[in-house]
Amino acid sequence: MFKKAFKVFICLAILLLPLLFSKMARAGDEIKEYEPNCTYEEYEKTYLDFYGSSTQEMAEEGNPADLMLDDGEELFKTVAGTRGKSCASCHGENGEKLKGVAARYPKYDPAIKGINTIAYQINRCRVEKMGAKPLKYESYDQLALTLYVKSLSNGMPINVSIDGPARPFYEKGKKFYYTRMGQWNFSCALCHVKYACKRVRTNLMSPNRHHADHWPSYRLKWGKAGSLQRRFRGCMKNMRAKPLPYQSEEYRNLELYLTYQANGLPLEVPGMRM
Amino acid sequence: MAKGIGKIKIRTPRRYKKGDVIPIKALITHPMETGFRKDKKTGKRIPAYYISDVNVFYGGELITQMQWTIAVSANPFMTFYLKADKDAPLKIVWKDIKGKVFEKTVQIKPQ
Repeated sequence: MFKKAFKVFICLAILLLPLLFSKMARAGDEIKEYEPNCTYEEYEKTYLDFYGSSTQEMAEEGNPADLMLDDGEELFKTVAGTRGKSCASCHGENGEKLKGVAARYPKYDPAIKGINTIAYQINRCRVEKMGAKPLKYESYDQLALTLYVKSLSNGMPINVSIDGPARPFYEKGKKFYYTRMGQWNFSCALCHVKYACKRVRTNLMSPNRHHADHWPSYRLKWGKAGSLQRRFRGCMKNMRAKPLPYQSEEYRNLELYLTYQANGLPLEVPGMRM
Repeated sequence: MAKGIGKIKIRTPRRYKKGDVIPIKALITHPMETGFRKDKKTGKRIPAYYISDVNVFYGGELITQMQWTIAVSANPFMTFYLKADKDAPLKIVWKDIKGKVFEKTVQIKPQ
């Protein structure tokens, strides 16, 4: 009798074990948020001690990416494609109708059932409204045009909405931010939340408050301007993970997550960073 | 990459008197290829392409001259000091090794 009860118990245990594991797996899906290691003000102080203010002085003296703005404005007014239209023919001669728009991007777009960024929208506009070829991501023209469109909202506070349909995409972006990846098993959040203000070899890790408010930026390491998504790719290479293509769904969600962290800050393009 | 080469920005102080020594800051966009870099995709060398001569004219007179080589960074930025003793145009001329000439003139107006 006792033996039989034991057998039943074992059987039940074997049957129920996968259930238990699946529950554990589900618990693993939930994001374990880190406490930020320091505030942005503390970081700025550490930064000054660590690197000095040379980059800031350089940016004040002249940002090479400023010179791209004229090219961007020219492209904005250039007629392209089969329908004889330019960006200016819909959005106003000097882009009056686009003022303040860039501060609300990235946002949810029902047409693509996902998150739309400025660079992505420019290419959609070109293909759907102008009948022109899309611009290659990170090419000079593409960056110049994005820079010009974003510069129209310069100084306005970033106001990204994560309510309603954008919410699941925000959660996805957040999950990506907290996912461990690559050979070194790092996540974005590990460096920029948990270990912010600490040193990784010769680099000082920055908290994520100001990460998304100044792109496209001129970066001294690149010797030219680049977008936030190029930075994502660089970060993923540093983690020894495989970088994803530009404007892939994951990167657009991640851009939404990071831009939301910068909510309320003024948009300042082009930036200049190390 | 012919785009984005030779765009120039020259900055002078807002207000200065006659005889003041003022900083002139000039920025030009240029790739400044050293000739040692390789194209990652094709494996071929990217030919050298850099600015070799910079001449500065103040009122038609050559006041300073620079000879640059591959050691100068991309998008070079330079600062020099000028004694603003006359109301005259300041012309900066950059010349690269392909023979392209970029120049810009600003008016020096001591008050």
